[in-house]
Parts: sequence; structure tokens; C-alpha cells
Amino acid sequence: MKRVDETVTIQENSRINGKYYKLVFKSGRLARGVQAGQFLHVQIRPEAVDPFLRRPFSYYRIQKDRIEVLYEVLGRGTELLAELGSGSRLKIMGPLGKAFTRKVKGRKRVLVAGGVGVPPLVFLAEKNPVDYLLIGTKSKAEVLPKNELSKVSAKILHATNDGSYGTRGFVTALLEKIIQKEGAERLYIQTCGPTPMMNAVMDIARREGIPGEASMEESMACGVGACLGCMVKTPQGWVASCIEGPVFPFNDLVRTCA
Amino acid sequence: MKAVDLTTRIKGLTFKNPVTVASGTFGTTGEYAGFVDYKKLGAIITKTITIKPRAGNPMPRICETAGGMLNAIGLQNKGLDDFIEHKIPYYAKIATPLIVNIAGESEGDFAKLTRALQKYPRVVKAIELNLSCPNVEKGGAGFMKKRKLMKAAVRAARAETDRLLIAKLSPELGDVLEIAGEVIDAGADALSLINTLKGMAINIETRRSRIANITGGLSGPAIKPVALRYVYEVKKNYAVPVIAAGGIMTARDALEFIIAGADLLAVGTANFINPRATLDILEGITGYCRQHGIRRIQELRGSFRHV
Repeated sequence: MKRVDETVTIQENSRINGKYYKLVFKSGRLARGVQAGQFLHVQIRPEAVDPFLRRPFSYYRIQKDRIEVLYEVLGRGTELLAELGSGSRLKIMGPLGKAFTRKVKGRKRVLVAGGVGVPPLVFLAEKNPVDYLLIGTKSKAEVLPKNELSKVSAKILHATNDGSYGTRGFVTALLEKIIQKEGAERLYIQTCGPTPMMNAVMDIARREGIPGEASMEESMACGVGACLGCMVKTPQGWVASCIEGPVFPFNDLVRTCA
Repeated sequence: MKAVDLTTRIKGLTFKNPVTVASGTFGTTGEYAGFVDYKKLGAIITKTITIKPRAGNPMPRICETAGGMLNAIGLQNKGLDDFIEHKIPYYAKIATPLIVNIAGESEGDFAKLTRALQKYPRVVKAIELNLSCPNVEKGGAGFMKKRKLMKAAVRAARAETDRLLIAKLSPELGDVLEIAGEVIDAGADALSLINTLKGMAINIETRRSRIANITGGLSGPAIKPVALRYVYEVKKNYAVPVIAAGGIMTARDALEFIIAGADLLAVGTANFINPRATLDILEGITGYCRQHGIRRIQELRGSFRHV
């Protein structure tokens, strides 16, 4: 897959609920051959030094050359991105990184998503046979609108911290229930979300012996494996998540924080 | 359109243009292939290699700051043997002169690395001594001790090779003009100015540093005026070739350094933001020369007007 860096023009960039903004632009080259889990590296203000570094975003949806990205406003970069209107230009590198495994044989596939991990897993669930999509959010205001999930054939279960939508509590409680129902030996997990959530998911997976993959999120500079800033700890040492990941098999990850 | 002669010569080596990359910002084997035709670069400077592999620092290793970034990578690299086995054959296929950046904990390390690398004259055209990484502390070596090691390292490497020997300096070790004089006396043929400047950033919510190493090296446009001043001052005081580095993002930045007297221009952090930064800068320099009727880059080099 050829990586490219090109200037695109924003078609849409607006808030879709209490959590996410949707960014839409067209690029045949950035859309070609992309798989769920890969990412784009975005220079939000191409002629300025603020923000200085690019920001990585997951691909959310691709329809021919139309690319959609869902993002949260989390800091200076995304604040500036949210201010841009249609017609504004961005410099974007992509497609970067390794995707989630598409074909899983002999096991039911459970996706566990939270926060910025929801978009790539919805992408995965729209394009591949998936059995469960578990989504954890703080409250109903953060749950994706129904039309955004209409192409997902998997069973979707929501958990909210305040119980305002779906089950009250953490998304990991939903995962525990599915393990009880289906049996650990029949499951395969793919997860993306905040680090504490993924750590909890991987702790359960290790305890139960369930294989799977996690998409890691680290601060990133170059996106091509040159700066060694976005490192993830593996049994073989630190590796760059931008090229060796961001998706890693559970077995390749060493837990680095409590 | 008339061609502009960008040829730059340092100690018998000919570089087809003055644009190179700063150590640690361009990967080790083809990370920028597809964005940059490596054959078009004046030279390639590798990430620092050490005798033994180094695991590098814990995360987080980088953070953005105003007009720049901090990094504390910790010289992560696979060591000398891996470099010889895997990277030398890779660079042997690229005609662009290779400058290998090395670091050690003693003058013996610098000697050993230089001796090993100079056995590959077709590939390794020059050695750059990293005398100034801000992110690697060896038992809290004192300031004077570091200065002593610095001189000893240059002498030790010099004793092993006749090839172009470059000392990479930082103002962290004291007065740059003084240090420059010391390393030139110790046998350095050229200087790289400057390495990153030590800095820090604090997350006010957690009250922790944004870098696990607490401090990191500041790079990017934020340090350009400082780098430019040192290049200017060193060129004014010494007849020594200088590889300028520090916030070169655009051709305009590069041209300032050339006017101040820089021989080569090492594009560093800019690569992280614009993977084609090196070639964009090269095109910009050529365009400027054409516009200003400059036929040879040498006419522009050091042409700073004091009044």
C-alpha cells in the first residue's frame, strides 16, 4: 500500500453528538486499499507552526474516495481542527500503520470500544463478520447516533458510566457476560479505546486465555518509524506503534502502567 | 532555466547539494522512501549508533511545545554489529554520501566505533561524533569531566581515521566558541551546530513532566535563532566547515544559515511534519538562487552583510 502525503479540502466538519466531530473529505489515494485500524496523520494548519506536530486519526468510514473521520476535541490540535469549516485545507499522510486482522476462524469475534476507539471498530464491524460490538461511554450524550451504526450487523451492546444508556458501569462488565454466555475458548477480542479500558480488557483476556488484538495510542511525531517517539513495549523491547502497530496481538504487548 | 551549482566540498568530499538530515530524524533504513528520493539528498546522517544495542528511555518520550518539540528517546538503536550487518548493505545501494553518527561512554567507545566503521570506505564517507545528547546521563558526570571526555573522544576517533570527522556540539557543555576551539584542536575537521537544547514541560493536571525522562531535547523553529547565532559566531571565528541544524523548516530558514556561512544544512524535526521537507527546501534554495542571479551556492555562503 503506497503511503501518500497530500492536501485535501474539507467537505464537512461538524459536531454530531456530545462527544464526536465528523470530518469528511475526498481523496482517492488516501482511500485506496485502507483497512480498519489504519490511520491518517493530519497537519491541521499546513502553513503554521501551531499546532506543531501532526495528529494521528483512525479511518472511520470509506465510500469510494470519500473519507470520514470521527474525532473528539481533546487538546490544542483537535480544538483548532474543530474550528475549520468546509473548504479549509489539511495536509494528510496515509494510509499508515497495521490494520486489525480481518478474518478470524473458528471463534466468535467481540469488539470492545471506548472513546476514540469507537470509530475504527465500527469501521471493522461494517466491513467484516463480527458477532458483538461493545461500546463504553460516560453517558447517553456520547453514544453514537443510531444512523451511524445502521450498517453494523453485529449485536451492539452499550455500557454507560451513569447508566443513562444501555447497562450501567464499565464496558468490561459486558465482556464478562459474553464470556460466561459463549465460553472463553470460543472468543476472539479486538479492542481500541482509552489505555485503562484496554488494560482491563487485556487483563480479562489473559486470565481467560482469549486471543485478540489491541490498537495502541501513543503521542506521535513522524508516523513513519523515524523518530521512535510512539513506542510500545513488547517482549522484544520498545517498538514504534506507527509502523509495527498501532494494532498488536495481545501476546506482543507488555503491560507498562497500572 | 540555467542550472544552479549547489556543489559543496568539505575535506575532499563532494556533496552535490548542501541539504542533509539531522541525526535521529530520518530513521535508519528507508523510512522516508516513497516521500524522498534519497539519491537527491546532499548527504544522509544516520541516527546515533552505539557499540551495544540500547533499549531507549521509557514513555512518554516526546511532547509538543510552542514552535517545537521535546524528545528524550535515549539513543535507542540496535548497536554496531546490527548496523554493519543490515544498514551498511542498505546504504551501499544509495550513492548519496553517508555520515554515520556515533556515541559512546568513553573515548575507547568512540575509537572502537570509528575503527569498525572506517573499514567501509565505499559507504561510510564521514563520522559525526555525538558529543552532546542531552538525554543520556552517565552517572551524573560533571561538567568538566564531560568536556574532558569530549576532547578525548575527538582525539581517539581522529587517531583511527583520516576520513571527514565531524563533532556535534551543544551549548549545554559551555561556551560554544571555546568548545569549538577545543574540538578543532583535538582534530575535528568540521562541526555540527547545534544539538537540541535541554528543556522541559509539565502537565499541570498530573504535575508530572510530559516526558518520562523529566527533561528532553528541544528542537524545531523555537531554537532556530539560537542555532543561527552559533553558526554565525563560529564561522566568524574559525575557518571550519559547519553543518547547521536547528529548526530548519523551509528554504528561507536554510538560506539564513547559508548566508551566515553554513556548509551543509541538516533538516531535522521538519521531517516529522513534512516528509518531503528536505526536497522542498532543496527546490526552494534553487529557486532563490535563480531569482537572485546566483549561479553557485558558494557565492551566497557566508555573504552576510554586517552593515
